[in-house]
Amino acid sequence: MSDAPYGERRNTSTRFLPPDPGIEAPYRLTPGLALRVGVLGVVALMVFAVLFFRLWSLQVLSGDTYLAAAQGNQLRTIRIEAPRGTILDRNGKPIVDNVAGTAVKVWVGDLPKQGRYDVIKRLAWVLKVPPARLAKEVDQRIADPLNPITVKTAVGEDQVAYLYEHQAEFPGVQIQQTYLRHYPHQTLAAQVLGYVGEVSEGDLERRPKLYRSGDKVGKAGVESTFDEFLRGESGQAQIRVDSLGRPQGPLEPKREARPGHAVRLTIDIGLQRAAERALRYGIATARENESYYANGGALVALDPRDGAVLAMASTPTYKPSVYVGRVDPKKIQPLVNDAAAKRQNYPGINRVTTGVYPPGSTWKPVVALAAMQEHLLEPYESVGCTPSATYGLDKQEFVNWDPYVNHAMSLPEALARSCDTYFYDVGYRFYLGGDKGRTRMQEWARRFGFGAPAGIDVGREETGLLPTPAWRKRTFASDWDKAWNPGDSIQLAIGQKDVAVTPLQMARFYAMLANGGKLVKPYVVSQVETSAARGQAPVVERRFTPDPPESVGVDPAALQVIRDGLYAATHSTYGTSSGVFSSFPIAVAGKTGTAEKVVPIPGYPPGHLEDQSWWCGYGPAQTEVARIVVCAVIENGGHGSTAAAPAALRVFERFFGVKAETQTLVETD
Amino acid sequence: MIVDAGRQRIPLRSRDAIDVAALVRRLDLVLLLAVAALVGYGLWAVAGITRFDIPGDSGYFVTRQAIAAAIGGTGLVVAILTPPSLYRRHWRVVYGGTIGLMIFVFVFAEAVRGSKRWIELGPFQFQPSEFGKALFVLAIAGFLVEKQHRIGRLRTVATAIGLAIVPMVLVFLQPDLGTALVYAAALSAVLFLSGVRWLHLGLLLGVAALLVGSVLWFLPASGIEVLKPYQTARLTGFTNPDSDPSGLTYNVNQSITAVGAGGLEGRGVTDASQTRFDYLPEHATDFVFASFAEQRGFFGASILLLLYLLVVWRGLRVVTVAGDLYGAVVAGGIVFAFLFQVFVNVGMTMGIAPVTGIPLPFVTVGGSSMVANLVAVGVLQAIHARGREADVLRR
Repeated sequence: MSDAPYGERRNTSTRFLPPDPGIEAPYRLTPGLALRVGVLGVVALMVFAVLFFRLWSLQVLSGDTYLAAAQGNQLRTIRIEAPRGTILDRNGKPIVDNVAGTAVKVWVGDLPKQGRYDVIKRLAWVLKVPPARLAKEVDQRIADPLNPITVKTAVGEDQVAYLYEHQAEFPGVQIQQTYLRHYPHQTLAAQVLGYVGEVSEGDLERRPKLYRSGDKVGKAGVESTFDEFLRGESGQAQIRVDSLGRPQGPLEPKREARPGHAVRLTIDIGLQRAAERALRYGIATARENESYYANGGALVALDPRDGAVLAMASTPTYKPSVYVGRVDPKKIQPLVNDAAAKRQNYPGINRVTTGVYPPGSTWKPVVALAAMQEHLLEPYESVGCTPSATYGLDKQEFVNWDPYVNHAMSLPEALARSCDTYFYDVGYRFYLGGDKGRTRMQEWARRFGFGAPAGIDVGREETGLLPTPAWRKRTFASDWDKAWNPGDSIQLAIGQKDVAVTPLQMARFYAMLANGGKLVKPYVVSQVETSAARGQAPVVERRFTPDPPESVGVDPAALQVIRDGLYAATHSTYGTSSGVFSSFPIAVAGKTGTAEKVVPIPGYPPGHLEDQSWWCGYGPAQTEVARIVVCAVIENGGHGSTAAAPAALRVFERFFGVKAETQTLVETD
Repeated sequence: MIVDAGRQRIPLRSRDAIDVAALVRRLDLVLLLAVAALVGYGLWAVAGITRFDIPGDSGYFVTRQAIAAAIGGTGLVVAILTPPSLYRRHWRVVYGGTIGLMIFVFVFAEAVRGSKRWIELGPFQFQPSEFGKALFVLAIAGFLVEKQHRIGRLRTVATAIGLAIVPMVLVFLQPDLGTALVYAAALSAVLFLSGVRWLHLGLLLGVAALLVGSVLWFLPASGIEVLKPYQTARLTGFTNPDSDPSGLTYNVNQSITAVGAGGLEGRGVTDASQTRFDYLPEHATDFVFASFAEQRGFFGASILLLLYLLVVWRGLRVVTVAGDLYGAVVAGGIVFAFLFQVFVNVGMTMGIAPVTGIPLPFVTVGGSSMVANLVAVGVLQAIHARGREADVLRR
């Protein structure tokens, strides 16, 4: 005790003394303090009671609910894209298939709350997409965190590698394998095939069960019509992710993706290519022959026996690959923007089904058949073919294209020579039949498939126009225009003025001529099959058997006269396309057409007429059953014999595998 | 009192020189065991919660936490050996030290996530405001006990509050709203136990309510922002957890989900996905209880709460056995601050208390908190031991 610090000595000693009144009394727990401690105790008990009760309520009463919530938190269901079915030609060669690609997607819900736009900006920079567009898309999809946004498909390897290396800087960004449409033949059959794109809002609303946001769907052509077969069924996989969306385990497949079925077309790649080349050749030939505005065309080849489309070409065309991956708005301008489309003469449309043209002289067999059926014309009746003729009260003069012919002739020769005045006479006979008679030709034309869609299985179709007195009355305002004058019947008899047809309707009519009077329904898709594994025969899932051709009820004898006329047109010395077809080893019969159409061309007054070059025909003709019908139109191509006919010949050459020995281009109707 | 040879070797000043053996005998063994159990339980909890936090080093946090517990244990012993009267007599020094520490933080601390709380100390980070809790109680209690004869005066109360406001504001400005609130809780307990009149207590309660009201609602309404918007949102957000499920209340919703998903028996360490896959933010610190509840379930979490209850009960008992008023007030302040932390932290994880960054004593990963809490327990034990000694003397 003696070594204790001095300051403490006094206090130590007090312990042994009685309480010093100067010093405060020894401390005792006062009742007041005890009460206050008690209050604190009660507070403490209440606090713990509350905590226990809450813990019990969360864990025991609603534990299952929260467990489910926690489990849902970490599992992300990922759709496994199904490879889209290939599109095959009639021999099973792929026209459209897939290549593997890498897609970069963004899960909007996983983007950081702060700095979301920094991530978007960086991502846009890496992928070279416009940041503003991506940001806008993210804003639009902010309410839909369950479906990722596809930022870009067909991402390059370098970019993928960069994203993988810097994964931490890109929360919510997912790199996924995807399938990209691949077009080994580039522009081949572009308008028939259509293209694939991201599902639109409209599609989503229409088929909410089938489509999910971000799906790829066929947008046009075969891709669209047969989408349900091509698309397959996406699979599902689940993956554990942490709160930043980073995968924490392997992808566990829940449902395998079912690849889409292959769709087999009736089109033959070789013939299709020949048809497309033929069109370009026809245009070039037309330009060489002073039809400088030739700039487009359509060519269709049908099997006249069942309506299978062997080739369907439309020019100008485009590469469907512009729709693959991230779409460059500039590249698709001609396909979506009307002004841009006009500049390039509408490359997106399929002129075979949606191009409407006056048929010109290719229409004459329609008139001849109708006249024979109506007994207005006997096949071997001599009708004058004069340089010109006058009809009506005003003595309006109508001229023949060839002013040097001036003799009476039978129907086959009139067809072969394509004599206009002969058919003016026939047309006028219809006119003389009064109100009823004036519609008889159109009624037959309707039976031959004009004025209505041909019913092809793919793509949109135009109906064309069959002018009738009723139509005139309906359509025009002034009494003058409402009237059906002799000129209407006369012009209609040579496929001019108001009548308008599509190349497909025309091909269908010539198929009817070739097959003995039966109207076929053209079709492009022959069957749906499971995508063939290597070295195995494909299994046909569904075959589209064409409807059996329907007889239109024409007299076979009348039909034979027409066929004779068409054969003469390609083989007799006076035939309009003999120069093109007479030396071709296979007998081909067909008719030229040179149709005047109002075409607005800069520098010409309104109402400027350009000749539309036509040729329709079939082969082998006469002795055998025809196996192919070809119908070609070269827009602004001039005479039928100098543009459309040589183009059609190319297709026959390819189809029969033989070449014409010589070819003489003579300007005929 | 007989002085023996062994006692002479104790290098303490004679007034406080005590027989170590006697001291140990006078400790509250139940409290000591409860705290030891809590520390052990907490280490086990941390081991599970942080197993996947550092890839390749599952024991990283628990090792550091164990080192902190060892340091804290030493601190606890030192605190037991230090006579509480020392703090009472030198409360001004303690107070000055507390303020100095806070200012030191302001000057030297590195800003981490926008707040200056930590001071680098070699390989460790040192968070003075954790130690400040106990020091604050010791200082304010010292003042109030010194002015005990004038405790009935409003002026005394006002002075005490004035003294308390300074460190509270300094902590608040770090900014560390949660710790400032702990200080406030400790202050109220200290005022309450030091004998402030009920009338004055009622008055204080009214002023506090008015203050909270103005800070949260009235002042912002008139354009004066005392709290940062996120602080206001956290304080009021728990009353309406669905207001912004992916934003500010995201944490709370994920935390409630974690607690609930634990169920009766817990999901175990590997299957506790909320914790493992980081859905639960700050699962080793602020939301540690939710993680623990997810992994160990109602049984595990209940044991933890019961241990806390045991500590609080023994702590309140220390208040009653304290040898002097100072001891009682200090013990009360420490216990109430402890209770407040447990309630706010656990309640926050279950959505019944505002979200503030308050650590869960003995469990939250953090060395300063662990050491400071153990030292505080040491102070309680010291008070208990002295109280027992006084009892013996009185008899």
